[in-house]
Amino acid sequence: MSERANSTHRGKTNLMFQSQSQSTPEAADAVKKTAPQSASLLTGYQRSADAFDEFLGEKDTVRPHYAKLFGALEEFSTAELRRRSDTCERLVHEQGITYNIYGDPRGMERPWQLDPIPFVIEPEEWCDLEAGLIQRATLLNRILTDCYGAQELIRSRWLSPAMVFGQPDFLRPCHGIRPPNDVFLNFYAADLARSPDGRWWVISDRTQIPTGAGYALANRLVTSRILPEPFRDNNVQRLAGFFRDAQKSLALLSPRGADNARVVMLTPGPHNETYFEQAYLARYLGYMLVEGQDLTVRDNCVWLKTLSGLDRVDVILRRVDDDFCDPLELRNDSILGVPGLVEAVRAGNVVIANALGCGLVQSPAFMSFLPGLCKHLLGEELKLPSVATWWCGQKTAREYVLEHLDRFVVKPAFRTHLRLPDPSKPLSETDCAELKRRIAFNPDLFVAQERIALSTAPSWEKNALVAKPIGLRVFLAATETGYTVMPGGLTRVAPDMGGRFISMQSDSSSKDTWISSETRKAEVSLLSSVGQNVELRRTGNNLPSRLADNFFWLGRYSERADATARLLRGSLRLFNPERSTGAQTLLAPLLQTLETQGQLPGISKKTELRQNAEAFEAELLAAIFDQSRPGSLRQTADHLQRLAMLVRDRTSNDMWRVLSQLNDRLATPMVSLVMLSGDAVGVLNQTLMGLAAFHGLARENMTRAQAWRFLDMGLRLERGVYLCTLLDATLHSPDTENPSVLEAVLEVVDSSITFRSRYNLLATVPAVFDLVLLDDKNPRSVLFQIHQLAKHFEKLPQEREDAPGSGKNLLAKCSKRLNQTDPRELAKPRESWADSELSATIKETLRALPEISNAIAANYFAHASISRTGRGSDT
Amino acid sequence: MKWEITHRTSYAYAAPVRDSFNEARLQPFSDECQTVDHFLLKVLPAARLRHHHDFYSNVVHHFEITEPHSTLLVESQLRVNVKPRPPLTPDATPWALARIGEAAREPRVFEFLQESRFVELSPEVWRLALDVTDGIRDTWQAALELMKFVHSTVKYESFSTNVHTHARDVLRHKRGVCQDFAHVLLSLCRTLKIPALYVSGYLATESASATHAWVEVLIPGVGWRPIDPTHNRQPDETYVKIAVGRDYSDVAPVSGTYKGTTERKMEVNVTIERLND
Repeated sequence: MSERANSTHRGKTNLMFQSQSQSTPEAADAVKKTAPQSASLLTGYQRSADAFDEFLGEKDTVRPHYAKLFGALEEFSTAELRRRSDTCERLVHEQGITYNIYGDPRGMERPWQLDPIPFVIEPEEWCDLEAGLIQRATLLNRILTDCYGAQELIRSRWLSPAMVFGQPDFLRPCHGIRPPNDVFLNFYAADLARSPDGRWWVISDRTQIPTGAGYALANRLVTSRILPEPFRDNNVQRLAGFFRDAQKSLALLSPRGADNARVVMLTPGPHNETYFEQAYLARYLGYMLVEGQDLTVRDNCVWLKTLSGLDRVDVILRRVDDDFCDPLELRNDSILGVPGLVEAVRAGNVVIANALGCGLVQSPAFMSFLPGLCKHLLGEELKLPSVATWWCGQKTAREYVLEHLDRFVVKPAFRTHLRLPDPSKPLSETDCAELKRRIAFNPDLFVAQERIALSTAPSWEKNALVAKPIGLRVFLAATETGYTVMPGGLTRVAPDMGGRFISMQSDSSSKDTWISSETRKAEVSLLSSVGQNVELRRTGNNLPSRLADNFFWLGRYSERADATARLLRGSLRLFNPERSTGAQTLLAPLLQTLETQGQLPGISKKTELRQNAEAFEAELLAAIFDQSRPGSLRQTADHLQRLAMLVRDRTSNDMWRVLSQLNDRLATPMVSLVMLSGDAVGVLNQTLMGLAAFHGLARENMTRAQAWRFLDMGLRLERGVYLCTLLDATLHSPDTENPSVLEAVLEVVDSSITFRSRYNLLATVPAVFDLVLLDDKNPRSVLFQIHQLAKHFEKLPQEREDAPGSGKNLLAKCSKRLNQTDPRELAKPRESWADSELSATIKETLRALPEISNAIAANYFAHASISRTGRGSDT
Repeated sequence: MKWEITHRTSYAYAAPVRDSFNEARLQPFSDECQTVDHFLLKVLPAARLRHHHDFYSNVVHHFEITEPHSTLLVESQLRVNVKPRPPLTPDATPWALARIGEAAREPRVFEFLQESRFVELSPEVWRLALDVTDGIRDTWQAALELMKFVHSTVKYESFSTNVHTHARDVLRHKRGVCQDFAHVLLSLCRTLKIPALYVSGYLATESASATHAWVEVLIPGVGWRPIDPTHNRQPDETYVKIAVGRDYSDVAPVSGTYKGTTERKMEVNVTIERLND
């Protein structure tokens, strides 16, 4: 049977791609003729004679469905287009749209590449594509239903057992589990490409975790803002309706009914390549973004672990590969999953979308069987063809492939770690022989696919339109009435004309995808909800403990950045190369604090360095800008941004923007080699403004729920640590009573104005310490931090009884000791401030604060690790 | 022959652990060769038990213990009546080895011909299997010869391997326990395209009663036939079958995950008593 399936693709080998350099003289002529239409915009537009061009039709005239867009682009001046392109880049950056590249030295967070010129599809053509895609999704779902159920297709030999049982993506524990309405594929994506004859082909099916819809949405939001006029004039179909349908369908999956169904998105975590998209979609759809460790199974139901207890979860939108979802029944080395999840699904107490096991039909081996299966299962011809594919597990296909190996791209048939030759390079003779040997030894593992010359579409490059190869990823969602297609998609652009393979992991770009509609459709918003009976909620106390942890550290690092910036600014201002000692005495407490907190390690011992003005200045600058230096402001800002990413779905865009700008600002000066301390002070001022903005946003824009509470606790704790360190250093400085030293301290803790308004005299130790240590009206005093922390503790859930320490008790002790310190006692002259009672109090507080931090961690953020139960041994 | 069996697995943890999720494959099959008259699974700390049939039709019990606990006891009690099919005579020649490829026509046989977690089908193993069966023309005879080879080559040595030992390493070091004997025999049979599956169960002998493992091979026209490479014989009514799979990883009697210390002691205790018919 399946041999038949393959034969339909024979003879269609004219799809071989030929790159620009190989094109014929006639083709070169054709290229020249494109020029006259618009001298400025199209001069550089060189279409290839061997590929379909989406933009220019016969005789190089602009295709009608591109006319409106092109007309609009022509009306803009080049300068205007450049400005919009810059705006495009800026918007992408500001929204923090990123894509993580595994193993990229630049690390996480690679900026997303968006080409401002959208890809436009003709509406009639789109209708055909839609019909084909819906059929294909329906078909793949039917195949899954059979493979995880009756397995008639295998028994009646429509499918070879090797294609199902031989695949790592066939999950045996999931056999026999029936999802609601037999819908396995809740979401489906397909990669499409258009061959030179104008036909669309499916290059690959995405059934495991169909990613990209979020990026398509993000692209849309940017593109519609930079090209609002053509967007409007083209009546571009909106994407929101698709997401609303998807949202509604997910809620309907809930075993407890759609009203108030709790849907969560399960993520592998921030290191995943599409983490941005996960956070973005979770926020857009209103789902909580959770990691495996945030969930637990109790009594065969799935629950979200929050600070105030367990919350039932009904539907899990899965972004973790299915085999990683349950260490008990699936891969037991997984730390991303939830033990017991499969059994909870089996019991019908939770629904996972896509169903566990969906990766099965993503295998390209299935492609060659689809035409036959479509007729068999749906009684229809397959409307949308797949790229010609031969699965080597079949004898005739294998023989054909081995004979014509140079024509094909050989790929792994299943999700396995096969090392295969780079498909973009021609096969050498030895490679070819080696490949043949491997195919012959284990044929089931290989498929061969035809190469398709991708169609080209205009992209914006160097102030002109150029033709670039494109591929289109489209998205479908299952609804009550069948599959629905997102009217648009993620268009991906190969970096150069020779491109045949587009992977976001390599250097490719993306585009928005426009489909005009004849009539203007009513706008939809995601805010309409499924059920009428919405439970009113005000608590917001369902914060997963992992997020509480992240918010706490976000608070700590934001204050660490603030304190570091203030101390370094104070040092730079006081530091005066004119003086012989460079104001070293005045700087003593500041430098000591920076040393203790790790920004200037060992500075007190580096006498030579301190006496060399230039070296000292360089040291201060390094503490600000050097990314590789532990504890530098730059590094703190990095941590801050990373933490912000971890709570991305729980913070506003503004907060994200502020932190991202902060990082940018600290990163820029490294470009220029000469950095003046004056410039550095300017950067520090901006940094402090940015941090003020961040703290202001937190204060004014976050509800007073647990997220805010933990953020503020982190901040208070960190501020307490820095204040105590500074005060302690002041008492130990050689010149404690020097008013200039005390002034410097007041400056750093932002209390100079208050001091002057109160005392109109030179700074003295008692007055300064009263204000900075004991005045609980001063938001920069130690006691204020302690009192705020105590207030937060009152509002938190009970501490655990089995936790090693109680933060509450520790705080109470601290508070008592500080309250017992009589400010008038301070006025009594001392022999040495360093040995005073005051110094002892500060030291004690400094010891207690990290203990309080540990207690908070033990009580609220405990995530114990997972071990395996041993197994019985035999005989 | 009727047996009463108690199978007790107990864990003692160095510190309390929690969130323990477990699967137990302890309830034997009922089929034409054995009937289970009574089965009771006990878990301490007490937990609700659920069960389902897995992909190989084994009965799997699930239980979760979320509260902190320092010991875990899983105990099964059962009565089973074993009436094995008469053994194939050692000189029977039911199916030509040259035609063994036809066995793969049955879809569900496919995976008992493949590599699996502990079973490797390398060219070296294939070479070895060919050498051992040199001159043999019958499938059953080949299987018996391979069993004899494993029995005489691998030395039985308690605690010489663990539950994660791969057949490859057993062949290299030539020692192991019943599980390892079975894995090596599976490798050899499967390279010759003789479908072979792993059986976990109990063996009641005079000297000791314990959990045991052996192999079943598919002889077309005859069916699945058990062979025991550890003792170089065909199982009889002293063998009680619990579960089958591709290898040990499909049939582990108790497996699971928990949160807490990895320091723990495990004890397995099996008693088998013969009941009067």
